[in-house]
Amino acid sequence: MKQDFQTSAVAIEDLNDSAFKVRLRRNFEIIQNVLENPTTVIGLVIVILMLLMALFAPIITEPNMPDPYQMPRDWQAARSAPLTPGHVLGTTNRGGDVFYGVVWGARTSLKLSLIVVSLTVVVGVIIGSVAGIVGGKVDEILMRVVDVFLSIPELIFALAIAAILGPSFTNIILALVVVFWVKYARIMRAQVIRIKQRDYVDAARVMGDSKMQIYLKDILPNSFSPVMVQATLDMGNIVLVGATLSFIGLSEAGIAEWGVLVSEGQAGISAGRWWASTFPGLMVFLWALAFNLVGDGLRDVLDPRTETKR
Amino acid sequence: MSPDTANTPDLLPENLISSVTDLKVYFQSKQGMVHSVDGVSFDIVDGEMMGLVGETGCGKSVTARSFMQLIQTPPGVLAGGKIQFKSQKNCRKCEGAKCDFCSNTGKQILDLLSLSENEIRELRGERIAMIFQDPGKALNPGLTIRTQLAEVFQEHRENDVLEKAGLANNLNGINSYLLKKYIRQETNLISKIVLKFPPFRGLLKKVDKAINGLVTKALAETQIPNPNKIMERYPHELSGGMKQRVMIAQAIACNPDLLIADEPTTALDVTVQARVLDLIKDLQKRHKTSVLYISHDLSLVRRICDKVAVMYAGKIVETGDAETIFNDPKHPYTKGLIKALPSMTHERGKLEAIEGMVPELINPKLGCRFASRCKQKKSNCENNDPELKVVSNKDKSHKVSCFLYE
Repeated sequence: MKQDFQTSAVAIEDLNDSAFKVRLRRNFEIIQNVLENPTTVIGLVIVILMLLMALFAPIITEPNMPDPYQMPRDWQAARSAPLTPGHVLGTTNRGGDVFYGVVWGARTSLKLSLIVVSLTVVVGVIIGSVAGIVGGKVDEILMRVVDVFLSIPELIFALAIAAILGPSFTNIILALVVVFWVKYARIMRAQVIRIKQRDYVDAARVMGDSKMQIYLKDILPNSFSPVMVQATLDMGNIVLVGATLSFIGLSEAGIAEWGVLVSEGQAGISAGRWWASTFPGLMVFLWALAFNLVGDGLRDVLDPRTETKR
Repeated sequence: MSPDTANTPDLLPENLISSVTDLKVYFQSKQGMVHSVDGVSFDIVDGEMMGLVGETGCGKSVTARSFMQLIQTPPGVLAGGKIQFKSQKNCRKCEGAKCDFCSNTGKQILDLLSLSENEIRELRGERIAMIFQDPGKALNPGLTIRTQLAEVFQEHRENDVLEKAGLANNLNGINSYLLKKYIRQETNLISKIVLKFPPFRGLLKKVDKAINGLVTKALAETQIPNPNKIMERYPHELSGGMKQRVMIAQAIACNPDLLIADEPTTALDVTVQARVLDLIKDLQKRHKTSVLYISHDLSLVRRICDKVAVMYAGKIVETGDAETIFNDPKHPYTKGLIKALPSMTHERGKLEAIEGMVPELINPKLGCRFASRCKQKKSNCENNDPELKVVSNKDKSHKVSCFLYE
């Protein structure tokens, strides 16, 4: 050991090099672990395709001016079947291009899920952390509020709020935020309480760190991974619930959104015009499935119980 | 510090770094008050190693944690006593000129239990450091060793970092202000952006390099092989012994006056244990640090400690020089402990165990706590509390709390 120690004093020069290599290898290992599971890879591929579609929507289809999120109406070609020139996936009863709805629906869904997830994560993490760290009566009160929210089924709760607020896309976002933050608060509280009792939090206190430093450095990063998994799963769930609300008619009519499109095509199904509902429905299904697969894969890698495998 | 204690003189003999007087720490539970530490008193001599020995649940760790105000209240209750500590600051009255107020030391003497959160934060890590029992749990799994060790320097040694970076003397006001903020990791968004541009970028690189140097030096001192590679690792990539070395490096980084080691070798296997022990002893000798070493292993404490206090059920039953206690134990409990140790010189045979169990500490009755297990029990043992008294004329530091020596 003495020998090692002396040689190491000389090797200080290649410090940056070795550090970089160590880090690169570690990150590579994590990515490799995620990619080891074939179902996760399938989910990841679908997610990436969806994201690309949302990102390049204005290139894939000509944006409908002035508001590209409104479906273009081609009344002459209403009710045309798939593979009609100009309407690859056919049109709805009211002349909406299904392909346009599917492509721009991805953009709407991405917008919806990103806004809702980021807002709920922020609200949930703050409330959960406060409850976990302060504890006592504050914790008790906050968690009873969370219990009340959790006691109502999320779809029905979201439906009620959206119905009260009136039909619009913004109101759907609001309703989903109100419903979905509670899970994060619960997860975060449990994590914070668990991590708070770790020796390294005491060790940080012993080193003279302030409470804020301990929270930001020791508690928050170590309690965040379950929140991340839940957020990934919710990226899918939120689109599913959002599409349900739009389907019922709580979104603005005529907006390029999968739920709206399904409800627009619903009337034609009995008459044999299956396409207007099937394609957007398939998209909702794929979106929810893909994010669930990725979320599951992430959980397998990030779960502390499987940590030894790394 | 409350106003009434500010005017009473802090009596702490010159040779002591810290003194615990009648410390009482209780815990609330549904069954009643748990008297975990019930009137514990001992002194830690400057530059010496003090061993605190006792079986599980006798209040050793609670005593140690009280030094750092790590006891959560509630459920913990500080029922009384004080922990005096000689700080590096000059005395409030005489400004270092030695007066009665500071018992002729010239240094300010603090009561660790009555300090505010901010006052104790200044001491933590800087003047008093702690090594934890399980190194695997005491390191943040999400940060590299470098980050965790650098924190100590960043928190308490910003001037050292600047000096090491060669920037101590040639900095103007704003530069030094921003860099100190950076070192203390208190940068806000604006200063973060400002610091990204030259000439600050170059300065930051120098600062980072200086921190790296300090971390490497601290790690090298604990004889970790390849400290420059080790510091980029995460805790789970190191072995238990290495983690404990990192913990020790973290604890001694600021060269504290008092190091509290809470069973630092319990989680390690025997060979690593011996090396870590030698390391702690070696560092203690070189840096003249005072150490409070907590252990359940009497033979281990004898090997490295100068003084020993034996604890039983929240009280100290015997204290004195390590050799005296080992060769001439007075209290029946200490005798039992020593008899229960395996020995190389004695003939083989069954080891003696102390009969019975540790008594309940919930609302304990009056009387010696060891009475129920004691073979030499007398009639008054169960009715009166024995006091810690000097028992022999030869050695005034050897004190025992037992009625056998009244």
